[in-house]
Amino acid sequence: MTHLSGVKLTSVSKRYGDITAVDYIDLEVRRGEIFGLLGPNGSGKSTTLKMILGLVKPDSGSVNVLGINVEDDPVAVKRKVGYVPESPRVYEFLTGLEFLDFTGDVYGMQLEEKKKRIEEFLKALDLEGREGDMISSYSEGMKQKVVIISALMHKPELLLLDEPLSGLDPKSARIVKDLLRELASQGVTTIMSTHVLEIAQAMCDRIAIMYNGRMSALGTMKELRQKARMPDSGLEDIFLKLTGTGDIKPVVEALMK
Amino acid sequence: MNWKNVLRLLSVDRKSSRLIRGFRFRRFRENKVVTYALYIGALLLGLLIGWLIANFYSGISDTAFKEDFLQGASSLFTTLPTIALLYGLVFSQMGQMQRIGAKVSIQPLYWFPITWAEHTVASILANLIGWPLIISIFICSSISVASVPLGLVPLAAFTMFALLASLFLASVTTEVLKILQVRISGALTKAAGRAAIWVRLLGSIVFFVIFYLIYFSLYYNVSIPSLIGSIAGGQRILWFIPYLWLGIALSAFASGLMPEIVIFSLASLAFIYLLFLAAVRLNARFGLYEEPSIKISRGAYVPRAGLLGRLGFSFAEAAIMRKDFKAFTRRRELIYIFIMPIVFIIVPIFSSMRGTTGESVPFSFQSFLFVYLTVLPGALITIALGGFIIGSEGAGVWYIYSSPISAKSLVKAKYFFVTFFSFAITLVCFFVAVLLTLPSLEMIAVGLTEGILLVFSLAMVSLTFGIKGADFRELPRSRMIRPMWSFINGLVCLLLALAIVSPIIPYGLKILFDMALPESYLYMALPLSGVIALVVTYAFRRTALKNAEEFLLKAEI
Repeated sequence: MTHLSGVKLTSVSKRYGDITAVDYIDLEVRRGEIFGLLGPNGSGKSTTLKMILGLVKPDSGSVNVLGINVEDDPVAVKRKVGYVPESPRVYEFLTGLEFLDFTGDVYGMQLEEKKKRIEEFLKALDLEGREGDMISSYSEGMKQKVVIISALMHKPELLLLDEPLSGLDPKSARIVKDLLRELASQGVTTIMSTHVLEIAQAMCDRIAIMYNGRMSALGTMKELRQKARMPDSGLEDIFLKLTGTGDIKPVVEALMK
Repeated sequence: MNWKNVLRLLSVDRKSSRLIRGFRFRRFRENKVVTYALYIGALLLGLLIGWLIANFYSGISDTAFKEDFLQGASSLFTTLPTIALLYGLVFSQMGQMQRIGAKVSIQPLYWFPITWAEHTVASILANLIGWPLIISIFICSSISVASVPLGLVPLAAFTMFALLASLFLASVTTEVLKILQVRISGALTKAAGRAAIWVRLLGSIVFFVIFYLIYFSLYYNVSIPSLIGSIAGGQRILWFIPYLWLGIALSAFASGLMPEIVIFSLASLAFIYLLFLAAVRLNARFGLYEEPSIKISRGAYVPRAGLLGRLGFSFAEAAIMRKDFKAFTRRRELIYIFIMPIVFIIVPIFSSMRGTTGESVPFSFQSFLFVYLTVLPGALITIALGGFIIGSEGAGVWYIYSSPISAKSLVKAKYFFVTFFSFAITLVCFFVAVLLTLPSLEMIAVGLTEGILLVFSLAMVSLTFGIKGADFRELPRSRMIRPMWSFINGLVCLLLALAIVSPIIPYGLKILFDMALPESYLYMALPLSGVIALVVTYAFRRTALKNAEEFLLKAEI
C-alpha cells in the first residue's frame, strides 16, 4: 500500500441557507485505503462525498483528489472515480445492458474492453438472463447491482460509495466486499459511507465519525476505542458514545409507554 | 367510508402539485392566498359577471326582449351539466395523460388502513382539482347571483347540483378509463413480447391522436352559442345516453315536468353510483397491478461505434444522444412530443375542411398553410424540446453530474439531439405541406430555409433556458422545466424567431397582398436571415456553456 494522498480535504465547509452541512473539516485518505465515513442522518456524509466528486462546490477550503484540485478540473476527477449514490435512480427506460454500455461510452472505454468487463460483472453478480430487460422491472437490489457495476467497470482509482451494499443479496454483498479488498490491495482508494457498522468495522482500514458537519472522531478501530475510552467495545457502542446518542434506554422506555 | 381519510389523501395530492410549483421547497411555508388565488379569482369574477348580468336584465325595458332573455338563460342553465361533463372529461383526461409516466403515485399509500372506496373517491376528486373546479366555481357563482333578478333561483340551485354531479361523473369515467387503459396496455405489452416498445409507442400515438380528433371535432370552429344550442336541442333526442340524463332532468325541471325530473334524477344518481362501484372494483382488482417487464434484447452483446461516432461525436456525446432517443421512444410521458406535429397537421386540415366547403382555396391561404406547416411545428417542437431536454433526465440526473461529461460535451450532445429531432419533424411536415399545397419552387426555398434556420438557432436558445430552469422532480408528474423559465423561454424564442424571419416578412406581404418587390430581394433576405440566426446561435451558445458549467457544479441530488 502506498502512502500517497488519495483524497485531501482542507478546511472544507458547506452551508445550505442557515443549515451547516459540513463545518470546516480536514481529512486525508491514503491511496489504497478503505475508509469508512459514519455518522447519523444529516451529519454531512453525503455532502462530503459530493464535494469530493465535485458535484457540490465547497463554500470554503479545497478538495484534492488523486493529485488534482477538484475545482480546477472536475471532469478529470470524475473520470478516475466510481460513484454509487445513496438510493440511486437509474434510467429505467434502458435495459441493464444498455445502461452499462452507456456507462462504458461515457467513460470512454474501448469496445472490446467494455464488452469484456460488462460480461464479467453481469455473470459475477447474477444478472445474466435479465440484462436485456428494461430496468423498470428490476428489483431494488438488481438496480443497486447495475449501479455498482457502472461504478466499477471503468477501473476507477477512487471509489465513493454511499451505502453500497444496500439491497444486495448475501452472495453479491460478499462478492462486492471481497472485490473492494482486492482493489484496495491494487491501490484503489475507497471511501464508503454506511450505517451498517458491522460492515464498516469488518472492512475499513480507518473510520471517521461525522456529527453535525464535523469530524468527531477519526482513526483505526483501536484508535477509536482509545478515544472513546471503551477498550473492549464494538463500533456500535463507540459510535453512539461519540455522537452523543448513547443514552438509548430512556428513549426506548418513553416509546413503550 | 371515512371521509377524513379521503380529505387527507386529497390534501396530499394538492400539496404534491404545490411542491413542484415552488422553487423554495426547503422550509416551504404555504401562503393560503397564493395557493387558492385562482379559485378565489374565479369566485370573484363569477360574482362580478353574475352581478353585471343581473343589472343588465333589470335595466331591460322591452318586455319581449326580457322574455327572450329569460328563455335564453333558462336554456343555458339546462345545458350546463353536459358542458361540465365535457370540460370535466377533457381536463381530467389531460391530467391523467400528464401523469402517465409516473411509476409511483403520491396518492395510493396501499399499506395504510385506507379502503379502496376511500382511495377511489380521493382519486376521483383529485382529478377535478385545478381547471375543472375553477371553471365550475366561476359558473356556479355567476348563475347564483344572476338567477335572483331573473327569478330562476330554484333552477339555478338544481343546475349547480347537476353541474357538480356531472363533474363527478366525468371524473369517475376518467378513473375507470385510467384503470382499463393501464390494464389493456399491460396486456398488450405482455402479448407483444420484444415488439412491446413499438406497440406501446404506436398505441400511445394512436390513443393521443384519437383523443385530439375528438377534442377538435368538439371544439374547433364551434362557437359557444352554437354548442349550447346543439346541446339544448340534442340531449332530449339522445335520452338513452346516461351521461345526458342530468341535463334532461334539468330541462324537465325548467319545464315543470315532475315525473321526468324524478326519473332522470334518480337514474343519473344510480348511474353515477354504479360507475363509481365499477371504479372501486377495478381499482381493487388492478390498482396494484404492475406492468410486465419488457425484454428488449436477447442476443449476444455486440458493442458498436455507431453512426454518430463517424459523424464526429465523442463516445460520451453519442451515448447521451442515443440514450435521449431511447427515452423519447420508451418514456410514455415523452411520447407526446411525437403527437405535436400530428396535431399541427390536423388543425389546418380541419380548418380548411370547415372553412372552405364548396369554395376554391385562395392562393394566399395555400401559401400561408405551406409556411405554417413547414416552419411552425419544427420551431415549436424545438422550443419545447430544448426547454425540457435537461429536465427530462429526472432523478437519474445524478448520473450526468457524476460522470466525466464536460459542459461542452453536454451542450453539444443535447443541442444536436434537439436539432436532429426537430429537423426530422420539419422535413416530415414539409413533405405533408408540399403534398397539400403544391407550392412554387421559390416558396419551397423560403419555407425550408427559414424552417431549418429556426430549428438550428432556437435549439440553442431554448437549451440555454432549459439548463437554467431544469426541474428534475417527477411526482406527481414530470415537470422538466420550471414554469417561470418555460415562460421566459417561450417569450425570448418568439422574439428571436421574429428577428430571424424579419427579412422575409416583406416577401410574405408580397404573397398575401400582392406587393411589389425587386426580383433579387430573396437573394439578400435569405442570407441576412441566416446571419441573424448565426449570431443568435453563437451568442446563446456562450450562455448555454456558462449555464451548463454552473449546472454541473450544483448537483440537485
